[in-house]
Amino acid sequence: MTETIDQHQEGKRDVTFRVFRFNPQVDSKPYFDDYTISAERGITVLRSLNYIKEHVDATLSFRAFCQAGICGSCSMRVNGISKLACTSQVWEELDKCREPGIIKVEPLRSMPMIKDLIVDMDPLVDKMKRYANWIESTMPLDEMGKKEFLVSEEEFHRYDKATDCILCASCVSECSILRANKEYVSPAVLLKSYRMNVDSRDSIHDIRLAELVKDHGVWDCTHCYRCQESCVKSIPIMEAIHAIREDALECRGPKDTSGAKHAEAFMEDIEKKGKLVEATLPIRTNGMIWTLRNLLPMAMKMIVKRRTPPPPPLVKSAKGIKIFRAMFREMTEHVKQDHQKSHKK
Amino acid sequence: MKPFDIVIVGGGGAGLYAAMEAMKTNPALNIAVLSKVYPNRSHTSAAQGGANAALGNKAKDDTIEMHIFDTIKGSDYLADQDAVEVLCSEAPKIIRELENIGTPWSRMEDNTIAQRPFGGAGRPRCCYCADKTGHTILQTLYEQCLRKGVLFFNEYFALNLSVNGSRSRGLIAMNMKTGKVEAFPAKTVIFATGGYAKMYWNRSSNAAGNTGDGQAIAYRAGIPMKDMEFVQFHPTGLRKSGLLVTEGARGEGGYLINKDGERFMVRYAKEKMELGPRDLVSRSIETEILEGRGFDSPAGKYIHLDLRHLGADLIKSRLPQIREMSLNFEGVDPIEEPIPVRPTAHYSMGGIDTDNFGRTIMDGVYAAGECACVSVHGANRLGGNSLLDILVFGRIVGHTAAEEAGKFAPATISELELKESVDELRNRMQPSGHYERYGALREELGQTLALNVGIFRESSLLHKGIQDISGLKERFKKVRVFDSSDVFNTNLMQVLELKNMLDLAETVAVGALAREESRGSHTRIDFPVRDDEKWHKHTLATLVDGKVLPGEKPVTMGRYELQERTY
Ligand SMILES: Cc1cc2nc3c(=O)[nH]c(=O)nc-3n(C[C@H](O)[C@H](O)[C@H](O)COP(=O)(O)OP(=O)(O)OC[C@H]3O[C@@H](n4cnc5c(N)ncnc54)[C@H](O)[C@@H]3O)c2cc1C
Repeated sequence: MTETIDQHQEGKRDVTFRVFRFNPQVDSKPYFDDYTISAERGITVLRSLNYIKEHVDATLSFRAFCQAGICGSCSMRVNGISKLACTSQVWEELDKCREPGIIKVEPLRSMPMIKDLIVDMDPLVDKMKRYANWIESTMPLDEMGKKEFLVSEEEFHRYDKATDCILCASCVSECSILRANKEYVSPAVLLKSYRMNVDSRDSIHDIRLAELVKDHGVWDCTHCYRCQESCVKSIPIMEAIHAIREDALECRGPKDTSGAKHAEAFMEDIEKKGKLVEATLPIRTNGMIWTLRNLLPMAMKMIVKRRTPPPPPLVKSAKGIKIFRAMFREMTEHVKQDHQKSHKK
Repeated sequence: MKPFDIVIVGGGGAGLYAAMEAMKTNPALNIAVLSKVYPNRSHTSAAQGGANAALGNKAKDDTIEMHIFDTIKGSDYLADQDAVEVLCSEAPKIIRELENIGTPWSRMEDNTIAQRPFGGAGRPRCCYCADKTGHTILQTLYEQCLRKGVLFFNEYFALNLSVNGSRSRGLIAMNMKTGKVEAFPAKTVIFATGGYAKMYWNRSSNAAGNTGDGQAIAYRAGIPMKDMEFVQFHPTGLRKSGLLVTEGARGEGGYLINKDGERFMVRYAKEKMELGPRDLVSRSIETEILEGRGFDSPAGKYIHLDLRHLGADLIKSRLPQIREMSLNFEGVDPIEEPIPVRPTAHYSMGGIDTDNFGRTIMDGVYAAGECACVSVHGANRLGGNSLLDILVFGRIVGHTAAEEAGKFAPATISELELKESVDELRNRMQPSGHYERYGALREELGQTLALNVGIFRESSLLHKGIQDISGLKERFKKVRVFDSSDVFNTNLMQVLELKNMLDLAETVAVGALAREESRGSHTRIDFPVRDDEKWHKHTLATLVDGKVLPGEKPVTMGRYELQERTY
């Protein structure tokens, strides 16, 4: 059925919204419903959904509140990308459709489904608690409200951008690790943890960091950058993740964490040989005992199938290793300098 | 459910501060916060400008005394002066406290909290965090509540108070995730449910859920509403959505243009032009539209906010937010085209009548934030005073309820009462022959309010408004919920919100008709001047036998005598 959203003479286009439907009370599995409406220029995806709910199908369920891009309620996947429905223009989405004229609307991924486009946010809140995503103030209780902390412009800029986060969970939905491991800390919580850790008013940096370097923590990220690409507030989330890792290396020393040790071993191999010495990588990362306990059965199987990597002495340096080493050193130097600069900003 | 000492309805700035303070006052208490959205989604997040406090960081000679005077004058002398004194004296302390627990305030060169000028203030005392002040305050409070282990019932929709004579037994609410109606027996209930300006629907800058639920629940339980006729309009809302285009656009030099291409403000404020006070600019735009000099569109009449002469560079560097909003919500790039705007209902000065401690007339029921009327804003709220209000009185009400909860015996809510609430919902969901669409009613309510109970008011218009509202209330009886599912029934929720708006709309219109004078945000064409002799008082609206019973209450005066309000 075709309905008209607004009779304005600014030009209109017929659009089909293919919307994910699932009501756990009656549906054994999800399905899609098509709604075709006529939408004028300037109409957002959320306004279209509101229109469909009011005029076509009152059972269609989604969250929406401020409708102005600040509360984060209406995050969903539009044409496959997680974003806010209220700030997404229908006409722009029409250019991104896989099937012409059909805008696909689905719930966020990696979060428990509740109904139609609504997913459960509680797991995210639980993680914010686990990683102490708050300031534990250094101001003594009886001094509270009596004086200000003095905070430099420079420090403010360290967390300014991170405090733009509206917890819409688009990054959570796009994160490739979370899809495989629901226990992973998640980009939003890493960002918030970073924001707390660089705040001079906070007193539990070390406790928070200790939690972040455990299993399912900061070292699980694979740098796919999808969180950053999908952030509705354009926050450089990956920079925050890198900063936590560097902080972890600096503060606690590489010996403390498997992720850090893995990174170190990786760098060492690449610098020395231009490739990995895979046979000893697990030992250098997680130690002999862990490796024996966890990887011995697999190693046995690999031996049987003749798939074991060569032992270290047999790993020859890659071709052109000298030039490579020079480039490698130059690169690490650049990274260091960039980093110092970005801290000054 | 285990009886609670305190149940807080609302997880915005007011509700969260109340929760924190109540826990601090008495950690042994059993406290719950209910919110129909996750607390961090509350409308407090939308406040951009900032919160006022005479810190004296920017203007060294600023004083609490000056802040008090500005607020009283801004209120057109309708605010209670003792309440304003509390508001302004507590301000520096509360802003510093927020700073101490992590709010990322912008900073001055000397590393203290940054402040900027705001309308109606004699000194630059508005503390801000870029253009996301409300958002960062709300985040900070939510973080601290998580830290303290506040018990949240997120996505619970409050339905009714359970009342026994002059005392409340607690709250009845629906769990949105399951559709189950649950009892929250409680010694004390605090309402912190935000404003009601969304009743103007797409002529409002507010979130979809600012439907005055707490006020409506209290009103139906017999608690009086105060000064409901005072609704603040912001001059520049986007035509289609009512969303706010901040004052910054005019501050940077934007023009307001009518359909004849004329910068019409020259006729209303020759000197200040587009930068006149909010109410004056709103009235001017409305006059242009009423006299036929506005543009026409199916989404309503409007005028142009033209930024093109400022140039692409300035627009991109200084007004990026405004450009983004205009692109996102009107599909218009202000670099190339003017933005279609018109005044938008923005803030509700009226609300649940409370004393300076947040108490209502009902034992065990309290209120704070935009849903309450203490009154610190009187007939007109100053920009930056509302965030302050929710913080200061959120804290006070949390403290008061924690101290007083011990006075009351533990409460219970009977199965029978719970069943009544369930039946009421079920009836709505029964199919009926002839039915009404809630969406249509909601839109019609917004239209009649904007037209008849809007910026310009007049006896015959108000009568028409009241008649329309009662017609809508009658038709509402036939509104049906089509979604029969228990799980997250947003259809049902929106219908319940409409009911709340209809009940409150009547008090707004009745109050506006009664008040035969012009004061602050309330402009009567037929009574164009302030009439202190007859109307220097608060109005009350109480529900008796299904009708609004008007009442009144004196204004508490103090050091400041009545004066004419000129700027
Ligand atoms: C666009 C905009 C800009 C603004 N800018 C400023 C500014 O710069 N400075 C300033 O001082 N003020 C500003 N204001 C005003 C200010 O933001 C609000 O007055 C204030 O945030 C209200 O806070 P609150 O805690 O009372 O309510 P809200 O933040 O609105 O919270 C209400 C809470 O109640 C809950 N609730 C409501 N109904 C129910 C129900 N039935 N059941 C359960 N829970 C319910 C909601 O879930 C929510 O958690 C602005 C307002 C708007 C609209």
